[in-house]
Amino acid sequence: MDARFIISSGLIELYTAGLVSDIEGRELEAAMQQFPEVAEAVATCQRNLEEYVKLQSVSPPESIKIRLLNLINTDPLIQGTATTADNLQFTKTSPMEQTNVLSVPETKGVSWKWIAAAAAVLLIGSVILNFFYFNRWKEFREYKDKYQSLLLSQNSIISKTNEYKTRLEQLQESMQVMEDPKVMKVTMPGTASFPTAIATVFWNRDNQQVYLKVNNLPEPAADKQYQLWAIVDGKPVDMGVFEMGDTASLLQKMKITGKAQMFAVTLEKKGGAVSPTMEQMYVAGKIPG
Amino acid sequence: MGTTLSYTEIELIQGLQARDEKLFSYLYDHYSPALYGVALKIVTDDASAGDVLQEVFIKIWKNIDRYDPSKGRLFTWMLNIARNTAIDSLRSKAHKLDQKVQDVTSANLMYEPQLAVHLSVDHLGLTKVIEGLPKDQRVIIDLAYFKGCTQEEIAKTLDIPLGTVKTRMRNAIMQLRILLKQL
Repeated sequence: MDARFIISSGLIELYTAGLVSDIEGRELEAAMQQFPEVAEAVATCQRNLEEYVKLQSVSPPESIKIRLLNLINTDPLIQGTATTADNLQFTKTSPMEQTNVLSVPETKGVSWKWIAAAAAVLLIGSVILNFFYFNRWKEFREYKDKYQSLLLSQNSIISKTNEYKTRLEQLQESMQVMEDPKVMKVTMPGTASFPTAIATVFWNRDNQQVYLKVNNLPEPAADKQYQLWAIVDGKPVDMGVFEMGDTASLLQKMKITGKAQMFAVTLEKKGGAVSPTMEQMYVAGKIPG
Repeated sequence: MGTTLSYTEIELIQGLQARDEKLFSYLYDHYSPALYGVALKIVTDDASAGDVLQEVFIKIWKNIDRYDPSKGRLFTWMLNIARNTAIDSLRSKAHKLDQKVQDVTSANLMYEPQLAVHLSVDHLGLTKVIEGLPKDQRVIIDLAYFKGCTQEEIAKTLDIPLGTVKTRMRNAIMQLRILLKQL
């Protein structure tokens, strides 16, 4: 193709009006590089069209200019330089080149990008905070578990302490009774049938209060209970039933009696009997003197 | 260019790149009629054309750094922005391709100069060109330049063979050149 052929072919006019395909456009641009007269013809053609455009100038309303000057002064999105690549870039000299390209209006493009950027920043911030708080929450959960187990052990310690306190008080009480010089100690050894059994009675002769200490008695069946008797002038007098188990290690308060020659323990039905079952006598002891 | 500039194009570009509001104002005063004329030709109603014009100048203000003088004159660049913005605006208003072609065929009215409504910058020149340019030549330029139609769309719209588009466009622009020289 020589320059004159190109100039007379009508291709330049089509190109200037934006009517050529990409391939034709590139071919013509190559020719423009090669032949100055082709480039000149394209430039002339472009000027003709632009002059035609200028002839159709219309003065816009004054309000648009005022609005524009206001916009470029106040809108931060407009004041900054655009960051988006769009249809504004000159890629070819043809003025028609990009008319068929649908482009997003610039202002919208930028504002959307701002929104997207802000959203991304918020999202990242949220993820970081989530991570942070999730860890905090995990820690908290661990602490909560620890706290609860501590609370539990604290409670059990308190109840144990209370238990010990009670026990200590009971023991102190027992000690007081045993140490009291007015209290008489009556040891009751096992009978012939129960030789290993042994129990002790503490008897305050001042206030007539009788206490019992189990030294060794077998655990009775669930429906049975041991009962203490005082033998007063040859007759058995009920001194009450007593507990076994943990309580057995303590001094147990029984009934009162002003007179007695002997104490004995029999195994009776739960709640006690009116008169002792002699075959079930475990221990018995005479009052000395 | 009918107006005498007191700034050279390079001064103007540098001033805009420096975000000089005074030069922006100057640019607006000198180019807005031409760009508004383009917008009006494309979107055909005053309100839309005003919106387009505003958007065009905001784009110019924001993107002046991207303007490359080696690839064309400032006016050509601005004209492209105006045309693209106006055509986009037209299309975004549900003007699908079919409808666009229909509009063009049915409403030849829009190719008539809008002298009656607007004060043209140079109506004498325009009148001469309009009078001297046969209607079919004027329509083919307008379809391509202001409506962004393809060769195929033009051929279909004007009901002429595809090959004729090329020769008619060449004749139209040559005729235009002769008329412009007489001004």
